[in-house]
Amino acid sequence: MVTTPTRDPSSNVMSLPLPSPKAPPEYPDLYGKRREMAKVQMLEREISFLEEELKSSEGFQPASKCCKEIADFVMANSDPLLPTTKKNRKTCRLWKWLCRMRCLNLSWICCRCCDCFSGCCNCKQNCKCSSCLSSTKCSLSNWCCCFDKKSHCCKEFCGCNNCCCILSGCNFRWPFPSCCDCKCSCSCTCPSFPKVRPCGSCTKC
Amino acid sequence: MTCAFSPTGQSVACGGLDSVCSIFNLNSPTDRDGNLNVSRMLSGHKGYVSSCQYVPGEDTHLITGSGDQTCVLWDITTGLRTSVFGGEFQSGHTADVLSISINGSNSKMFVSGSCDATARLWDTRVASRAVRTFHGHEGDVNSVKFFPDGNRFGTGSEDGTCRLFDIRTGHQLQVYNQQHSGDNEMAHVTSIAFSISGRLLIAGYTNGDCYVWDTLLAKVVLNLGSLQNSHEGRITCLGLSADGSALCTGSWDTNLKIWAFGGHRKVI
Repeated sequence: MVTTPTRDPSSNVMSLPLPSPKAPPEYPDLYGKRREMAKVQMLEREISFLEEELKSSEGFQPASKCCKEIADFVMANSDPLLPTTKKNRKTCRLWKWLCRMRCLNLSWICCRCCDCFSGCCNCKQNCKCSSCLSSTKCSLSNWCCCFDKKSHCCKEFCGCNNCCCILSGCNFRWPFPSCCDCKCSCSCTCPSFPKVRPCGSCTKC
Repeated sequence: MTCAFSPTGQSVACGGLDSVCSIFNLNSPTDRDGNLNVSRMLSGHKGYVSSCQYVPGEDTHLITGSGDQTCVLWDITTGLRTSVFGGEFQSGHTADVLSISINGSNSKMFVSGSCDATARLWDTRVASRAVRTFHGHEGDVNSVKFFPDGNRFGTGSEDGTCRLFDIRTGHQLQVYNQQHSGDNEMAHVTSIAFSISGRLLIAGYTNGDCYVWDTLLAKVVLNLGSLQNSHEGRITCLGLSADGSALCTGSWDTNLKIWAFGGHRKVI
């Protein structure tokens, strides 16, 4: 409010009115507004990123496939921190139990853990066994039963008529009677002539 | 807080509370006291440097994670920042970055773990936003490490769990969680590493435990913390040798210990 100057009656001087305090001018808070707008823009950008991600997630492969990839990778690579000759018995027992569950199709992994047991191996994929017996029925086509000659199978030609079966490592039933380690015994008779070598080389079971 | 060898082994990077990542050339002469002088200082972070790793195959590039909520790709030759991931004006972590891990199969990708309880996957060619954000943890993600096949990564967290995520789909594939014996409070995971085949996940905890997890079965196969001559304090860091035959653990008990299959040697 502008006040008009007044004349002092005692003198001829015009005196200016006393200043009256005024409120500071209202400047627009541009910095705060711009900051808030920037935050809103960032949130809108995050929303569009999430919408894009949601759309792209429709074509993703199921998690089970990812798990299989991990298992395949782990089994295919050796590890210095893991024993190679000694089997992890606890893990083998778990896999044996899992592999016997017919409702679970774990054949893709059953043959990679421990020995080939109670199931079928895909002989084309890193079969540790030296021979595949295609005569044994497998639940999966083009698969065959894989036997490791060393531990589960008998030598085909023992060279003797009698085989003593020592059931080492055979903890499951197979249709083959020769699932054992072969020790041959020879039965021989000593001839009557004294110049002939005695039967010292024959061993009994 | 962090250190790393260069791929050729010719230099070392380390960073900490000074917000700087210092580079030391191991071929340079030492001073009279046997100390090596800094050959380059990477300055620019506005917070502590929590983690650093050289880009595989490149002695001239390095990625750091920082308490300023960003990750930075550095050109060591010039000392300048090539890219900044996250920060005030870009989409990224909303709290301190505690750990990073570069994909050994594709060095253009790396993951970061943060106090915002997420891990984020980044493409070094696109700094404006993360490729994917991984939720699930209920506390700070203290450690991230890529799985050897480059398509998955593991995390270790303040919530006491480790997790396995797929980078292509974002799926959380596995949770590694087990109650620690004799603990009323949950032990936090401070550091993780995968064995060379990925079959084992090794995790260090704040209570001195060091669990060796079977990655596939999510079972603890061994607790190094229960063995004779185990650490007497928090495990703060661990790492595997290049050939995967030995594990080294560091602890608040001031010791570094080297563990190998069938043996144990202590390094002071």
